[in-house]
Amino acid sequence: MGPQPNYVIPLADVDGSHEPLVGGKSARLGTLADAGHPIAPGFCVTIRAYELFLAESRLESLVRMELDRKRFEDMRWEEIWDAALRIRSAFLSHPVPAEVAVAVIEALAPYPADTAWAVRSSAPGEDSANRSFAGLHESYVGVVGRQAVIDALRLVWASLWSDAAMLYRQELGLDPARSRMAVLVQAMRTEEVSGVAFGCDPRKLSCEFAIVEAVPGLCSGLVDGQVDPDWWQLRRSDGTIVEWRPGSRDEVGTPSPLLQEQDLSHLLGVLIGVESLFAWPPDIEWTGRAKRFTLLQARPITTLAPDGKDKRGWYLTLRPGMARLRKLRTRVAEELIPALEAEGIRLAAEDLEARTNEQLAEAIEERLASVKRWTKTYWDEFIPFAHGVRRLAVYYNDAVRPEDPYEFVGLLQGEDLLATQRNAALQSLAGRLRHNTPLCDAIEKACGSTSTDAMNWQQDVLAAVRSLMGGESFLTEFRRTLESVLDLAYGNTRLSDRPDLILRTVLEMARSIDQDVRRTTKSGIQTAETLTQRLLAAVGPERREEALETLEIGKLSWRLRDNDNLLLARVESQLIRAIDVAARRLKSTDRLAPGAKVTDKAAGPIIAGLRDRTAGEIVLLEETETERVTKSVCPDETPRQLIGQPAAPGLETGTVRCIRSSEDLGRFQAGEVLVCDAIQPMMTHLVPLASAIVERRGGMLIHGAIIARELGIPCVNGIPNVVDALKDADLVTVDGYLGIVTIGLPEFDLELAETR
Amino acid sequence: MNEPDELDLSDRVMMGDGGVSEDSDLATRIGRLVRERPYGVLCTQSQSQPYGSLVALAATDDLTTFVFSTPIATRKYRLLSECDHVALVIDSRSGAPAELMQVEAVTATGRAHVVPPGPDFEHWAGLLIACHPHLAAFVRAESSALVRVEVVRYFHVCRFQEVRQWVPSRTT
Repeated sequence: MGPQPNYVIPLADVDGSHEPLVGGKSARLGTLADAGHPIAPGFCVTIRAYELFLAESRLESLVRMELDRKRFEDMRWEEIWDAALRIRSAFLSHPVPAEVAVAVIEALAPYPADTAWAVRSSAPGEDSANRSFAGLHESYVGVVGRQAVIDALRLVWASLWSDAAMLYRQELGLDPARSRMAVLVQAMRTEEVSGVAFGCDPRKLSCEFAIVEAVPGLCSGLVDGQVDPDWWQLRRSDGTIVEWRPGSRDEVGTPSPLLQEQDLSHLLGVLIGVESLFAWPPDIEWTGRAKRFTLLQARPITTLAPDGKDKRGWYLTLRPGMARLRKLRTRVAEELIPALEAEGIRLAAEDLEARTNEQLAEAIEERLASVKRWTKTYWDEFIPFAHGVRRLAVYYNDAVRPEDPYEFVGLLQGEDLLATQRNAALQSLAGRLRHNTPLCDAIEKACGSTSTDAMNWQQDVLAAVRSLMGGESFLTEFRRTLESVLDLAYGNTRLSDRPDLILRTVLEMARSIDQDVRRTTKSGIQTAETLTQRLLAAVGPERREEALETLEIGKLSWRLRDNDNLLLARVESQLIRAIDVAARRLKSTDRLAPGAKVTDKAAGPIIAGLRDRTAGEIVLLEETETERVTKSVCPDETPRQLIGQPAAPGLETGTVRCIRSSEDLGRFQAGEVLVCDAIQPMMTHLVPLASAIVERRGGMLIHGAIIARELGIPCVNGIPNVVDALKDADLVTVDGYLGIVTIGLPEFDLELAETR
Repeated sequence: MNEPDELDLSDRVMMGDGGVSEDSDLATRIGRLVRERPYGVLCTQSQSQPYGSLVALAATDDLTTFVFSTPIATRKYRLLSECDHVALVIDSRSGAPAELMQVEAVTATGRAHVVPPGPDFEHWAGLLIACHPHLAAFVRAESSALVRVEVVRYFHVCRFQEVRQWVPSRTT
């Protein structure tokens, strides 16, 4: 039997040769301590401990099951996040090996029980001059108590498999299967000032200057970007302060510098000392001044690739901190969403018909600019705020440790989404048709006549509907619904311009009320109130406010994530309306061919045509349908089972209806399997009619998955090219427990025929 | 607005070994598997009783036919004589539990025929022996039967549950 593996090594015993075992961060600290630099005491939990944990828990198989479900490049970020969440939950649910726990407890023993610890990642190969996992792997500060340290240890191990770390590793071409994690545990020092410092200017890599940043208190706020630091540029040759910029603090007037000249001189000396020790200009974290100065870590300055391809910064935005979410909450909920809503209402109220050609051209330009501006806002602010719900997920799982890592989804039930209001309005209309067969028949007949002009459609075809009992009031409510909640663009179609599509869905809803099509909330799912109480009980009174805030931001981010899509679709709808008005006007004067198909892409020529009356007929470029990029599949090769993500449990067999365009919305019949690229907020009213849902877009927190879970409808998502792999009327069995879609019935006709 | 993907990774390309990627068609993938793993489980049945036997096999380039050899005094030979509907299962397992998602397997269904002595025998025996040279004596033994399986259909499984079907077509 060989020697006992080193699960824990005191930091005082670590030197550079230990790097493969303890990771670069810990090895460098050991080297710095040997060279006389003051560091905080502590110990390293080596990669041997991580390996033992993996072996005992057999989590390596689980990780591979998660990550090999489909090709990594086929996984959307949201699916990778889902996989990371499940891996994290699995790590938390397995005990730390007894040998490791004993070694950690022994290492903690010499310190007072109330010592606050920093538990940091220290993966071998984590930092180098051209890559840095800083911020992508987890670190926890202020950890007090044995169990808390052991819990934090598992969380740091699990962060090897965080979404951001996996994506970055993939980008760097590092093999995830070979990645290992060591953990650094150090006693925390609480000082009046902390900061970072760079041996040369990281922006220019100019070694003429060093940079120092300082914040009051802990360094973590600075590293997270939550606190604005004081900033100095120092000349390395003589220590001269070239520039100082104060950070923003709650002081009246110009704040006094956090560091004095002697502090800066000391820091410059440390930087030069560290550089001579390692032979690279360092990036250090430090805390305290003078005799209380402590070096927290040193690593090479990461030089970002000159082509700007290093996406670490972008991956870091995938996990905004609470401070950033708070700012986004105020901005998104209180400013942007109300402004976007007001924009849609304002544009809808404008009388475009009465405008001159020039005014109409201006209106189209204004709407184009509005769509562009709001689309940018969508990406820059709405999507980052949507991470609030993911933060809630991690918070809930860490506190409650539920068996199902998606239990938290129940917290999102019953939120008052715009889509919910629309769906309720359509259900109300369906209720009016229930048991009114003559009215249903008349509407069915009316739906046979399609027109892109909603008003003409009503006048020409709906006279029969009006004359029936309940017909007039039905149409009044329907018209109100169209204008209030269906002024939405779906592709290049305004839903409010296609009453026939909407009415077909309402008819299906009316029929399904009397059928046993599932539309009640799944009984097994736990109520939001129960889960809230569970969360509050788990965190205890001390963290109650923190939990409530996380919950509030999570729910709000989920609600607004749905609403922002609909509000933006309304502005897009108003752009289409203006273009349609212009197109009709140009067609009436033979400036545009009667059959010309006009989309938002035609805005430029339409505007030019409105302004230049002398020009002849406007020729629009024929829009060719974007060619589908599909895998080359041999005609004699057919899929039998498609694999995706089990997004909502259940098992249903039904016929496929693929939604590829707005026309397909009106074709959807109750009981069919809804197959689409992605369930958009504009089409969630179809979900209660579906027997099952299959989507290309993957993720447990996307619209389709959440609604399907609420309604108890099986859902499998994340199947690449599913809209190409399936066609209308295919018989499929959707297994929402396993994430499998089986096509057709099992048969051996082919084999039997060969023998005849 | 059609809700966009937040991060599209589709521009990243990963290739498997030997130029056979996951984008290759099934014929290419099955051909590689059969070349690299020329062993399979022969599934036979008779009187409602299924039975399985491991056999060394070879396949034609167009994957329409497998050939293997079996002693005639075996249960599998008897079962083949009673029912010529068979299946063959070939897979890439090494046995490690963690490799589940990497295992690839094909099930070929078809009909078995014993090859009688003559030019046909030489042709099919040559194919099998080229793949398994150490089996030459076994294949030519008086007590062995050479069996070819005309494949009707393949079921290819990867990633534990992803299943596709393929019907091979004869090149001659």
